[in-house]
Amino acid sequence: MQGIRNNQQVKQFRALLKDPLLLVVLLFLIFFVVVAILLPILSIVRESASDDGRPLFIRYLSDPVYQGIIWNTLILGTLVGVIGTAIGFLFAFVQVKLNVPFKRFMHLVALVPVISPPFALATSAIVLFGRSGSISRGIFGVRYDIYGLDGLVFVMTLSFFTITYLNLRGMMEALDPALDEAAINLGANRWRVFRTVTIPMLLPGIASSFLLLFVEAIADLGNPLVLGGNYEVLATRVYVTVIGLYNPTGAAVLSIILLVPSLLVFVVQRFWISRISVVSVTGKPTGTPQTIENPFVKWGLFAAAMFVCLMVVLLYGAILHGAFVNVPGVRWDFTLEHFDFVINGIGSQAMRDTTVLSSIATPIAAVIGILIAYFVVRKQFLGRDLLDFGAMLGIAVPGTIIGIGYILAFNTPIMIGGVTIIPKLTGGQAVFGGALAIVLVYITRSVPAALRSGVSSLSQIDPAIEEASVSLGADSARTFRRITLPLIRPALFAGLVYAFARSMTTISAIIFLTTPQTKIMTQQILNEVENGRYGNAFAYCVILVVIVLVAIGVFYALVGTNTGAERRVKGR
Amino acid sequence: MNSRTRVSLLLLCLVIAMVAAPAMAQDTTLTVLCTPQEDWCVAMTEAFEAETGIDTNYVRLSSGEALARIRASSADPEFSVWWGGPADAFIAASEEGGLIEQYDSPEAAAIPDQYKDPDGYWTGVYVGALGFCSNVDVLEELGLEAPTSWDDLLAPELQGFVAMAHPATSGTAFTAFWTVVTLKADALEAAEAGTGYDEDGNPTEAAVDEAFAYFTELNNNILQYTRSGSAPGTLAGQGEIAVAIIFSHDCTKLQQEGFEGILTTTFPEEGTGYEIGGMAIIAGAPEPDAARMWYDWALTAAAQEIGPTVNSLQLPTNPDAAISELAVNLSEINVVDYNFAAAGASRVAITERFDAEVASAPAE
Repeated sequence: MQGIRNNQQVKQFRALLKDPLLLVVLLFLIFFVVVAILLPILSIVRESASDDGRPLFIRYLSDPVYQGIIWNTLILGTLVGVIGTAIGFLFAFVQVKLNVPFKRFMHLVALVPVISPPFALATSAIVLFGRSGSISRGIFGVRYDIYGLDGLVFVMTLSFFTITYLNLRGMMEALDPALDEAAINLGANRWRVFRTVTIPMLLPGIASSFLLLFVEAIADLGNPLVLGGNYEVLATRVYVTVIGLYNPTGAAVLSIILLVPSLLVFVVQRFWISRISVVSVTGKPTGTPQTIENPFVKWGLFAAAMFVCLMVVLLYGAILHGAFVNVPGVRWDFTLEHFDFVINGIGSQAMRDTTVLSSIATPIAAVIGILIAYFVVRKQFLGRDLLDFGAMLGIAVPGTIIGIGYILAFNTPIMIGGVTIIPKLTGGQAVFGGALAIVLVYITRSVPAALRSGVSSLSQIDPAIEEASVSLGADSARTFRRITLPLIRPALFAGLVYAFARSMTTISAIIFLTTPQTKIMTQQILNEVENGRYGNAFAYCVILVVIVLVAIGVFYALVGTNTGAERRVKGR
Repeated sequence: MNSRTRVSLLLLCLVIAMVAAPAMAQDTTLTVLCTPQEDWCVAMTEAFEAETGIDTNYVRLSSGEALARIRASSADPEFSVWWGGPADAFIAASEEGGLIEQYDSPEAAAIPDQYKDPDGYWTGVYVGALGFCSNVDVLEELGLEAPTSWDDLLAPELQGFVAMAHPATSGTAFTAFWTVVTLKADALEAAEAGTGYDEDGNPTEAAVDEAFAYFTELNNNILQYTRSGSAPGTLAGQGEIAVAIIFSHDCTKLQQEGFEGILTTTFPEEGTGYEIGGMAIIAGAPEPDAARMWYDWALTAAAQEIGPTVNSLQLPTNPDAAISELAVNLSEINVVDYNFAAAGASRVAITERFDAEVASAPAE
């Protein structure tokens, strides 16, 4: 049996070798993964394992201050994971199992955090709930200290719960209602069904949601910088080590310490949870899910979900409102100065640069993601899983680490035998003022989503359709273009939308890569927030969201979509 | 179809430019590393561009970040001239060597000797005193007067209501630290000669340790260490904190820009520190000629009068430049004898120790 499969693999591999176009594309994809993702990560490993780096591990891990920081990071990740998963679960449950009004509204509210720079929420939380917040001070009359763990958990759960909501909702919809009915027929009450049927079936989804949120939270840099107070986490420590102390070796060592839990989570999620998945795959669910009718449960959950919606609306409302007033929180008179600053003033360069670089990165990322998905699902070759795994590292590794990896890997040109293979991409006199490095990072961070949506889309398409095309004489390129691509258009659309939104809003990965010639909006927003010019920061956020929405419209017009595309914008 | 073509054209350009080394034109451009507040950077670069026609770009970084960045790219400098920020960082850069280079500007003759480096590594472009910037409403609620001494900041009522920047990133915060070092050295010296200052007139290790003890105690009252030196001022203006330790001119600027009547400036009676805003040419500057033009120009009275137009009210170093009536005159407050050379020489060691011992220690 094993021999036969091996034989088949060898045969397919030979077929691959015979098709020069396929081979070239494959080699290009491998080159991309190696250079843009693996090389920077390896540079960090090398730097941290150097003679200067090794003693630092012992120093950091035995120093109570650093132990405290690591502990802080893990607590933050755990709290955000638990609360974020609970909120995501609540939203999914309300959508699938309850018959209540405003469901569409809740769905849209839950999607909003996907397209905004995450630390915009931190700033608006200060304006609303800080020491002089319009709500904490204005309505309740308390000077609430929002800086620290409580504020971070609040802001991060609201920024990231969209992932869990979409994941769990997808799973709940796929649950076979017949199971619930069977349990009820056997005499179980609603609560028992929920406890012994629904929850166990969703456990893998809940676990993977928790892990995703955990990683997002420990990797986040923007929120802790703005709202951390004296609650220090690894990501901010890495940042100060680079920006304030310029100690790349120390930063590399701290990066590895941060990388360990992130990668662990990624591996667990990929190789363990996917295996214990118990979701019943029977094709289309039979019958429609039954709704919960107990009024206390129903309206209680409804009220809880509406409360979360209210928070999201308030926070984003404060951003929109703050963009139009003089000094948000202090002087409320109407002004268009902030928009003038962003559109016509010195802020305009950042707006242009970011949009152009994101527009370059987006199609490339989507295409690379889809192509890798195509090879992973359809072709047999050595190292197929490695290619998939390597590409996924682009998002599994925290952004700050990717950024430092780029500094370490590309600060000098890479030469082989006196020939420049890769020019100097970062720092002074980098090619294109460092823009190429930023585009590469954007692509790296966006490929995984396109890859995943491509994989799930391709696995649903019977290979026989493509085989028929080949039998009729089309080569692989033609088949891919004329048959495969049109069939996975929704995946391509999702990949494009995700890549653009992610590129426009990313900060941690590019904060070390901006140069005098290239200005990036998210970094400008952080500068404005740091210096207390919240109005400018909010105006940037509003314009950023508008740009992303326009781009989604453009992608829609270009690529089109036929099945509820917004449902596929999964996982930030 | 059109946009697809455009994208592929862009890609093509990327590939071509990857192959062809970027050719640099001779000094039609200038990249300034600018440390003061952003709008002053804008006003200065625009004025310089209008005057010379040189396409001038800037990046604003706080002085610790600026120093780190210059060090990081010293093999291949990104910037040609570094303008503004406390001279301590410039002294640290010249001590380290290979980061900034000497320049004997013809305009420097007009600048008084106390505002420039005898070796010509840097020249002062402005002067300003450190102060406390307080939110009067928050203070009233806490039942406190605006602080008039460093010890006032340690009041238990102020827990979580004080902010300063991180000395590793900000020159303002480092000036505050060194001011306390100087005060502690003076106190030690007054108690027993030779304990506060060594033979060379530099503060002793004991004085530095006492300053660390002070900031460790103050850490309990600090809400947040910001990156940028002036940022605590806006936190005070927004009522997030009661007292910010910042340069007094940054507080005046905020008062001019919407926080009038909300913020008040006070000075510690036992003495406060001050900064000389420095300027230097980066070693191996990619645009050396333009950098020298900027250097000469920035020392002129006309260039030093640009600050007040954007509410940056530091005192000019050029005696011919007009002084805004809003500016804080150093002769009217008690200023410590700030030893810039010793401060610059100790900067790196102190910021690293501060980062390890004070800033990341959990507040009680």
